[in-house]
Amino acid sequence: MKISLTREQHLELYYYMRLNRSLEERLVTLFRQNKVVGGLYSSLGQEATSVGTAYALEKRDWMAPMIRNVGALLVKGYRPRDIFLQYMARYDSPTHGKDGTSHFGDLKERHVISPISMLGDLIPVMTGVALAGRYLGQNIVAMTWIGDGGTSTGAFHEGMNFAATQRAPFVCVVENNQWAYSTPVRRQVPIRNLADRARAYGITSYIVDGNDVVAVYRVAKEAVERCRAGEGPILIETKTMRMKGHAQHDPAEYVPREMFEYWQARDPIARYEKFLTRQGLWTEQDKQQILERIEREIAEDLAFAESSPFPPPELAEQGVYCEEGYEVKPEWQRPIEEVMPPKASVQAVWQVEDFGGIAEGAVEVIEAAAAGASDGTGRSVLRRTSPRKKKKLSARSKGR
Amino acid sequence: MPVDVIMPQMGESIFEGTITKWLKKPGQRVERDEPLFEISTDKVDAEIPAPASGILKEIKVREGETVPIKTVVALIDPDGTTTSAAEPAQAEEKPAEMPAPTEARPEPAPAAHASTAAPQPVSGEDGRRIRSSPLVRRLAREHNIDLTTIRGTGAGGRISKRDILAAIEARATAPAPSAAPAQPEAAPAPLRLEAAVPRERIYFGRYEVQPLSVMRQRIAEHMVLSKRTSPHVYSIDEVDMSRVVEVRNQAKAEFERRFETKLTFMPFFVRACVEGLRAFPALNASLDGTNLVLHREINIGIAVALDWGLIVPVVKHAEEKNFLGLQRAINDLAERARTKKLKPEEVQESTFSITNPGVFGGLMGLPIINQPNAAILGVGAIQKRPVVIHDAIAIRSMVYLTLSYDHRIVDGAIAHQFIGKVKSILENWQENIL
Amino acid sequence: MAQVTFLEAIRQALFEEMERDPAVVCLGEDIGVYGGAFKVTAGLLERFGWERVIDTPISETAIVGAAVGMSYLGLRPVAEMQFMDFIACCFNQITNFAAKSYYRWGAPVPIVIRGPSGGGVHGGPFHSQNPEMYFVHTPGLKVVYPATPYDAKGLLKSAIRDNNPVLFFEHKFLYRRIKEEIPAGDYTVPLGKAVVRRQGRDLTIVTYAAMVHTCLEAAEQLAQEGVDVELVDLRTLLPLDRETILQSVRKTNKLLVVHEDTKTGGIAGEIAALVCENAFEELDGPILRVTALDTPVPYSPPLEERFLPNVNDVIRAARELARY
Repeated sequence: MKISLTREQHLELYYYMRLNRSLEERLVTLFRQNKVVGGLYSSLGQEATSVGTAYALEKRDWMAPMIRNVGALLVKGYRPRDIFLQYMARYDSPTHGKDGTSHFGDLKERHVISPISMLGDLIPVMTGVALAGRYLGQNIVAMTWIGDGGTSTGAFHEGMNFAATQRAPFVCVVENNQWAYSTPVRRQVPIRNLADRARAYGITSYIVDGNDVVAVYRVAKEAVERCRAGEGPILIETKTMRMKGHAQHDPAEYVPREMFEYWQARDPIARYEKFLTRQGLWTEQDKQQILERIEREIAEDLAFAESSPFPPPELAEQGVYCEEGYEVKPEWQRPIEEVMPPKASVQAVWQVEDFGGIAEGAVEVIEAAAAGASDGTGRSVLRRTSPRKKKKLSARSKGR
Repeated sequence: MPVDVIMPQMGESIFEGTITKWLKKPGQRVERDEPLFEISTDKVDAEIPAPASGILKEIKVREGETVPIKTVVALIDPDGTTTSAAEPAQAEEKPAEMPAPTEARPEPAPAAHASTAAPQPVSGEDGRRIRSSPLVRRLAREHNIDLTTIRGTGAGGRISKRDILAAIEARATAPAPSAAPAQPEAAPAPLRLEAAVPRERIYFGRYEVQPLSVMRQRIAEHMVLSKRTSPHVYSIDEVDMSRVVEVRNQAKAEFERRFETKLTFMPFFVRACVEGLRAFPALNASLDGTNLVLHREINIGIAVALDWGLIVPVVKHAEEKNFLGLQRAINDLAERARTKKLKPEEVQESTFSITNPGVFGGLMGLPIINQPNAAILGVGAIQKRPVVIHDAIAIRSMVYLTLSYDHRIVDGAIAHQFIGKVKSILENWQENIL
Repeated sequence: MAQVTFLEAIRQALFEEMERDPAVVCLGEDIGVYGGAFKVTAGLLERFGWERVIDTPISETAIVGAAVGMSYLGLRPVAEMQFMDFIACCFNQITNFAAKSYYRWGAPVPIVIRGPSGGGVHGGPFHSQNPEMYFVHTPGLKVVYPATPYDAKGLLKSAIRDNNPVLFFEHKFLYRRIKEEIPAGDYTVPLGKAVVRRQGRDLTIVTYAAMVHTCLEAAEQLAQEGVDVELVDLRTLLPLDRETILQSVRKTNKLLVVHEDTKTGGIAGEIAALVCENAFEELDGPILRVTALDTPVPYSPPLEERFLPNVNDVIRAARELARY
């Protein structure tokens, strides 16, 4: 699959990554001024993953961000003011102050589903989104992100497995940022590559350098289009690093200094700036224009956010139930008759091709060491593991 | 939210109490269970502990005032901070003007209805609690019906919806006498303590006026009532206590060491009375109209003099107690009477009483019967006196016993035989007290 | 008008709603080819095809999660729990995802989660429970628990058309035991409205689900003793029809609440509090409860009989209250 980016797209990727970072830097200041209500979560170091994956989605596609996907929200059309307002719990925020952080969404325009704090729950939800889109004939793809720690949940497994059995057009991006709060990934998962989990679901997976925005974009784009073409769900593992603590209160002293240094040298924005210069994709003037634009936008949006009032207390009692004004209409992009009787009518019998046996007396051993093989170099590589290329590991017959 | 301090119900039949003393001032800090105020009721005086820790925010009932049980007498603010001493004094001056705490909610809470209504009698004749229901109480209030006038047909005599509806119906059809709610007629109207002479003849020269304490008033009422009710007769006898004094002297040190309680003369008298009452049960009785109520249990009231009055705690089931048990019960009750720790039920249900003017040196006394007993025994001072024994003069420890008894119930013959029995037991003391 | 069972009424509602609206889809374990563990969904797959009747893996969280996701695109999924006991497996999806979605970010979740619940069929601790109160405690959900075929059909249709997540409990004891004539055509029964099943003078019994039938039987016997019972069938537990309860209490002045759910934290306590707060001075007696024991549902018949409230329990309590 040939995937290329124009110069403008390259600069747009830079704009979103830089906006992501500048916005969060400003949030830290606001946090220290006590203007942020509650906790503040940083995606420093993960901008390429957030921006690169979301950039692969079309307007019609659906996504559900996690806490560190501010970049994805920006790509999908949200503005810095929305993030400011959410964190500052103001009335003009997308949730009118009823929830904070990245917990918001938009069913109508941007096709964004709000996450909840319980990890893993978005996987089955986005499976449902993918199935509904297919049912309505919309030819959409659903995407969500999950951290390395989140893959330990039961909901992750149930959702991936269901998506796989339904061959749902669903891309799951596993952001392996090495730390689940204070617990290193190795204590969450006993395998080096989280992408190996895809094998258990019989689905295609990718591993990508999560700090290389172009590589991330290419992988995501390929995955999205393969999904759209009906190949079933795809899992992308992006190798990246959370460069701050879990939230502002956490100095992350449990992270070895050398590990920060290793990843600091691989900072996605610094690398991309060098890449743009090396490739001759921008001039210093282009860069300055982008930075000025970002500074201006952040200043304007912050001014707007700070002038927004807190919600009126009585709002707390409103909107528990949707009793009127339900405006979500299924957008049919296929003939409805196809799903209505008698046309939909079928014979209720299973087609069973594989009776499930193994060669008589056979024993198959799958050694643990063979799972999760990786070169571990961290270089920008594009490698594919697919169930279709499954290597026969070992087969011995043991006669009675 | 302030915590209500309420007038406690100090006994089944008690429906009001008087605050005799506040131990804290508004603005002061009070700890939970710390004594907060003292009350006096018909039955008992007591120190009431604070229900919660905090700042005594407001005193709503002043010293000397009498209010129904469950009345909020003060508020404690659990979150409050101490205020200057000036404010509380003011608050004490005009407690009635302090705004009652109100809920901010617009809907009237059920409690608000109750407080606007005239206080419904919660007790009927003789202070018995009237059993009804929230619905019945509301209907009674709305129709201005006195629940004490209704006979309940519900479970346990409860006034039910049917009963009150019938009463409303009956009143609607019957010629209404008047809207004024009737006073519960059988309720014992407190006796007015009248002066024996016109008031102006009391106040002359220089004087000081001291209001009677609640307890003093109750004693006064009770004494007038007793004298007015029971024709008192007095019988007197003299008892040789030498044997008892000897037994007591011999055992005292060992008794007190072993049982860690004081050995007094009182249990000897109680024991002797118990035997006497067993022999002459008419003295262990009460009169109810034309019925004599013979009590099966022997509960001996023992008068305890206090600095602020007199109280008669009761040794229950004295007939079931051994000597040590009697002594312990007597000491315990006396001690708690002096420290205001008696429970209401401990001053009730006496069947016979003993008073002991002798402890203050009285040679003898002629006590007034403790109603509804039939008799009371007065014990004089135990003194060595010369007495004639077998035509010789001997020095013996002697005491005068006086029995006041209700001549409606008991005649002299029985009374004297009873005293004879008591005298015989004391003079020939057999029981091993160790 | 034809006599239909409780189960058939539910099946009719699903059929008719799927015929009426292509946005209605069903998903759950063994609901398609097999027709559901109790055959409630029998025939749906043949009629509406694989896309609308989805056999899922054994993944309650995925079932509810996917239903939520579908609803965001305008579908109206009906998710089946093979037994309502298993709803515990997807507690988070229901209480945190579905229930709070509209309140948090304005995204309605028009889904129905339905399935068989309740005891009396010797199903043991994990196939007999009444887990409704976990959800009655969750703002944003609606909880429905019908007692008759007519209501089951009308309420399920309302639930499917409602714009909120609705939990629809089907008492399995009633599935094939009770029959009723119901109209053939389309009708609905509104959510959040209780019904007075029997008018009475002396005391009110508030109940729901299978206990409605237990209480009606008790009421007939009590009538012979001269105790005239008014019976309120809640039908919907959340939102609770406070007005109908209070109206009945204002009429009879005595209240007995009966439910098959366990006692502590059951809806009887909530109703007692409601009445005390709003109609205390209408009460001519204590509010009594007859409920299951505060234990798991035991398996062996004598144990389960002891666990469940029965006609005699209701009669005893009602007599005591009438006499009070």
